[in-house]
Amino acid sequence: MACASGGKSEGAAVPDQFPVGLRVLVVDDDVVCLRVLEQMLRKCMYNVTSCSQATVALNLLRERKGCFDVVLSDVHMPDMDGFKLLELVGLEMDLPVIMMSADGRTNLVMRGIRHGACDYLIKPIRDEELKNIWQHVVRKRWTEIKEHDHSGSMEDHDRQKRAVDDAEYASSVNEGADEVLKAQRKRRDSKDEDDTEFENDDPTTAKKPRVVWSVELHQQFVSAVNQLGIDKAVPKRILELMNVPGLTRENVASHLQKFRLYLKRLSGVAQQQGVLPAYCGTVEQNLKLASLGRFDIQALVASGQLPPQALAALHAEFLSRPAGNLILPAMDQRTLLHASLQGSKCIPVDRNVAFGQPLMKCSSNITKQTSQSLMSNEDVHSEFAAWSSKHLGDMAPACALGSVNEPNSDMLMSFIQQQQQKQSIIPEPSRSINVQPSCLVVPSQSSPNFQAGNSPVSVNQNRGFRNVAVDHNNPLLQSNNSSGVGQTSEVESKPPCMLSEFGAAGSVSSVSSCSRNVKDVACQRVPSSPSTINAVLQVPNMNCMQGSYNGKLDMVQGSTRNSIYVGKGTFIPSRFAVDEHEFPVSNVSHQVKHYVQNNANKVKQESNMDLTENLAWHSEAALAALFAPQTTA
Amino acid sequence: MLGLSVDRLRADMNRLLALLFHQGVLDEQFLQLQQLQDESSPNFVSEVVNIYFHESEKLLRNLRGLLVDKEFSDYKKMGIHLNQFMGSSSSIGAQRVRNVCVAFRAASEQNNRAGCLRALELLEYEYCYLKNKLHELFQIEQQRILAAGVRYPQQRQQPNNP
Repeated sequence: MACASGGKSEGAAVPDQFPVGLRVLVVDDDVVCLRVLEQMLRKCMYNVTSCSQATVALNLLRERKGCFDVVLSDVHMPDMDGFKLLELVGLEMDLPVIMMSADGRTNLVMRGIRHGACDYLIKPIRDEELKNIWQHVVRKRWTEIKEHDHSGSMEDHDRQKRAVDDAEYASSVNEGADEVLKAQRKRRDSKDEDDTEFENDDPTTAKKPRVVWSVELHQQFVSAVNQLGIDKAVPKRILELMNVPGLTRENVASHLQKFRLYLKRLSGVAQQQGVLPAYCGTVEQNLKLASLGRFDIQALVASGQLPPQALAALHAEFLSRPAGNLILPAMDQRTLLHASLQGSKCIPVDRNVAFGQPLMKCSSNITKQTSQSLMSNEDVHSEFAAWSSKHLGDMAPACALGSVNEPNSDMLMSFIQQQQQKQSIIPEPSRSINVQPSCLVVPSQSSPNFQAGNSPVSVNQNRGFRNVAVDHNNPLLQSNNSSGVGQTSEVESKPPCMLSEFGAAGSVSSVSSCSRNVKDVACQRVPSSPSTINAVLQVPNMNCMQGSYNGKLDMVQGSTRNSIYVGKGTFIPSRFAVDEHEFPVSNVSHQVKHYVQNNANKVKQESNMDLTENLAWHSEAALAALFAPQTTA
Repeated sequence: MLGLSVDRLRADMNRLLALLFHQGVLDEQFLQLQQLQDESSPNFVSEVVNIYFHESEKLLRNLRGLLVDKEFSDYKKMGIHLNQFMGSSSSIGAQRVRNVCVAFRAASEQNNRAGCLRALELLEYEYCYLKNKLHELFQIEQQRILAAGVRYPQQRQQPNNP
């Protein structure tokens, strides 16, 4: 199914419909999410295949190689770890993989990056995010092409350039740049190289024939590497040993990189932990000096947001190797660097820059969070050490730079500069992570949510749905807040503002009407409810209000219209928080009546008009959003 | 008559939805869900929500099963269930349920059994409320569709019931 209709429709007909028809494989054990994603992707005009099991997905990918452009996978799955799937797909099929999870905490996202995810989306996933996933496909292709640019033959080069042009063409057409289109057309035509490989103009499939690393091929590769010895395994020699027709040096080179990463992950903690601190310090320094525009490190370092430890952590994280403590003692940079670089044939510049790039991308996000998490992250340290020990020694293949053997701290800077000059490829294009800020939710998201409407939990514990109405306006998030009943002192930000504005609006009369009702009702939880309401008027202190509502609402069933639900306005999610301070207080009681669980029609109708007026204080957008779908539903 | 009831039903539905948004029971994701519904999948929302109910009840049962056990110690397993619950709840826009899950997860990471129990009760509560409200919503929606459906034939033909 996916193969049959995959990508050809837009390719043959109108190229500018890219990314329409992008072939996506979604893997998620949660059926709800799977269904929602499937529908969203369909709406994006993508070609969707969904799977609820990782093993099935893997088989699907293996059977139908070349039938998918991108894979979306959940992190936590029962039959296989999402990260494992990620690695396997990367190794075997070399497809961009995007991870998803409800858990957006830094350490998990970091793991995703380490394992090579192109992106990490946090649930709930919006369709805008899905609309953009094609960028990972394009980016991967481009970087692969660039990677081969230097060492590839003219044939390869032009063929790949064509693919690049196609992709450029596609994206430029997306922007409606016709001139660019024509220019590229000319450029492409002028390159009169062999084009037999291109069946169509589909940018997503028109490119060099992708080498699929089947199990046998991989075995051959592994045996060749073992024969040569991992230290001496150079793509050229591996290629010779493997003796597979049609396989190019670049294929081997990129596979070798991935393989090395894979090995690193498998092997144990590395030895030279001491290299870490100095190296990081050096790198930071040099990166700073080298003014790597695309990295933005300078900005980060300059703004003091990127402490050396964080940088090191990021380096190490990127290399995805669990590590020990990351505290960096002061060390003599030169000696350490010297020691680490002894015997190296070639400075793994590309490696450095490689991690530099994704590092910057994720660091910009990570530094937003506490870098403490990085510092205490056990994983980082030995990861980096492992990296340094293994790669400093034996990095050869894609090293486009000459060997730089000066054991001094300037070395990094010099080869980084060379890197820039020669524009050599980042050896880890497929790993260039683009952790978008949108994906990294601030870990402390629990707290704002808690505050969205605080009330003690215990109030309604033992009640059935009678108090449903009640509790609902007092969201109960007690577990992290040690506040007692009726005292939600941790309340802050918008909801309280609502109430205070409410009070401040000067509608004292209505408030007093509320308070009257409150007094009527026995507040078992908040004895001082009447006074608290008055207190509200003076002091924007939402807590008491809520508490008083709690108690009062226990009596909902007993009292009639007096069951106040004044607080309703206060529990509006911050999104709906209003700039205007008007709150039609006169309607409050109506709202409350409306909320009584009687579901009396008459009650609802009475409050019908009121509610719309009440909503007037919502922002226009929210209102429109609320009501628009209804008309179409 | 019938025409009136369609409008009234629609107003009811809007009101209920507005209320749920106010309360933070539902968030924008639910709107996205509604927008995903179209002619090719006309029952998308109710379909997804029903799957969600089914899965959630399973998860809640599992969670409770884990916690009532006095020798309970497998917080990791609980974390996995919670993660799934969080994911599915956030995917349909069940904001409050999701928030409770976050709190629950925090308690479970601290191995705080009492906290987990409290959170579980809260979770069950919030979930039930959501379920009731959504059922109500679907009921109104169904009535509205019925009412709208009956109206049209009347317009086309001679009105039988003035």
